Amino acid sequence: MTAPLSKTIVLWIFVAAVLILLSAPTIVILGASFTSGNIITFPPEGFSLKWYEKIATSRDLWDAFLRSLYVSVICTIVAIPVGTLAGIALAKYAIRLEKSVQIYLLLPFTIPLIGSGIGLMLIFGEARLLGQLWPVGLACCVINLPFMIWAVTASASSLDPDLELAAASCGAPPLSTFFHVTMPAVMPGVISGSLLMFILALNEFLVSLLLTDARIVTLPVQIYNSIRSIITPDLAAISVVFIACAALAIVLLDRLVGLEIFLKSK
Amino acid sequence: MRAAKSAYPLTWRIMDALEAFAAFVWPARFGRAIPWLMLAPALLLVGLLVLGLWQIGDASLRTLDTSTFLMSETYTLANYRRAFTESLFAVVAWRSLAGSLMVTAVTLILAFPYAYVMVRTSSPVIRKLLLIALFLPFFIGQVVRAYGWLIILGNQGMVNEALSLVGIAPIRLLYNYWAVLFGLVQYMLPFAVLMLAPALTAIPEELEAAAGSLGADWVRTFRHVVLPLARPGLVGAGLVVLTLSLTDFAMPAILGGGSQDFIANAIYDQFFRTSDQGLGSTLALLLVATGSLLVGLVFTLFGAGTLAMGRARQ
Repeated sequence: MTAPLSKTIVLWIFVAAVLILLSAPTIVILGASFTSGNIITFPPEGFSLKWYEKIATSRDLWDAFLRSLYVSVICTIVAIPVGTLAGIALAKYAIRLEKSVQIYLLLPFTIPLIGSGIGLMLIFGEARLLGQLWPVGLACCVINLPFMIWAVTASASSLDPDLELAAASCGAPPLSTFFHVTMPAVMPGVISGSLLMFILALNEFLVSLLLTDARIVTLPVQIYNSIRSIITPDLAAISVVFIACAALAIVLLDRLVGLEIFLKSK
Repeated sequence: MRAAKSAYPLTWRIMDALEAFAAFVWPARFGRAIPWLMLAPALLLVGLLVLGLWQIGDASLRTLDTSTFLMSETYTLANYRRAFTESLFAVVAWRSLAGSLMVTAVTLILAFPYAYVMVRTSSPVIRKLLLIALFLPFFIGQVVRAYGWLIILGNQGMVNEALSLVGIAPIRLLYNYWAVLFGLVQYMLPFAVLMLAPALTAIPEELEAAAGSLGADWVRTFRHVVLPLARPGLVGAGLVVLTLSLTDFAMPAILGGGSQDFIANAIYDQFFRTSDQGLGSTLALLLVATGSLLVGLVFTLFGAGTLAMGRARQ
């Protein structure tokens, strides 16, 4: 079936507008980071890598980046077992109070980030954990946990329960069934979920802002603190680090599970 | 010896030991509790948030003694009275609410055609490109994206430089309400498209063809077939965009330049500028309540839409 011309034109006008809106900041940051001038001007003054040299030798920025990576690793390591088990349980079993459990597990989304962040700040403060990095990772895991659970339930509900029964009737004990039948089936969900958790924790700003102090800022907070009215290109060069990480995550996601998984209907 | 080893490899022995251990600590008759055992870590983690809310609730009932900078020992509702009567908070709340509603409307209008083309296009290359264009900003984070807008919209930014080339004086594009809303729409688009796409995939293409063969033009097909069937996606996307933009911190802070505070910024200021934990907690709790009320209202009116995470309906 060919679509009428007017439909194609109208749809593509919207698509083009959205494409520009989505890509403009990324493209501009990439361009600005290569400028040879001391401030960002348009059109850019010449081409140089001097801002990359500047950030490569900046101890502060490197430390902040490493701290962000550490936070993301903690977040992902916690999220994988927790989210996978919860996702499989929700997808496979008819449990009592299922509705309530679902609503409860959606709390990280329904409680605004500022609320979650302040709440965690108060309880971590009470427990004297502020000033350390691992609570920040844990916090990132809590606030994004529904993403992990969603990803896992999506692949677990496509697993035929008869397969597990077949494994059991062939004599496989419960753990073997879990590791050889259930886990491989939900693997795409686990992979896409953990990639999502990692990259979201790497970018997490507000919760990091609330839970870190000047000594342990993560990179997004460092960038936020450095934004001044005069825009210097070194921030553009650091931002390219984030763009590179995002691009890497997309490539991995596409290779491992395929981006199209997000278009699947439930 | 060797043959025996390869006949019963080490991994099997480990699995046997694990199975025996599992059977010992969790006999089969406890089987009904297994789902709860699997859910327990997630329930505990989310419990941290509930505990945090409890703390916020407790702090919201204490006032700040401005002479000693200590929180009062006794409970009082004074903070709630201040939150409801001081005009500053009404202005901020109204600004956030009106802004997030506008952002939601614009985002859905922009996201819907994008999601539709992405789902319906027959070319895998176009689909992949649209997906990449969507995920790249989604994965870059708010601060970096806001920084990009500062470069584009600043007084010496790209847009103003381009305008000066054709002889138009610089316009102040940043640090106003519209800049914040603009930034929020851009921030929300990936969320909206990703929530809409599964709902659109679920609509059989034949239905549209059928509407067409019955004489409906594409606009009518869109209005009477596609939009109603995409309702779960629209509900999910609308809800996510509304609550996230209502409670956003970074865009008002960076693109609003301190003059366009949303509720989250007001809460942050209470904690870190005036150090009034009590009033800050009160505002935070009121925001949580507003958000939950919105979510609850939409869920009861329209169902959970694409937000549900349980078993697929059979």
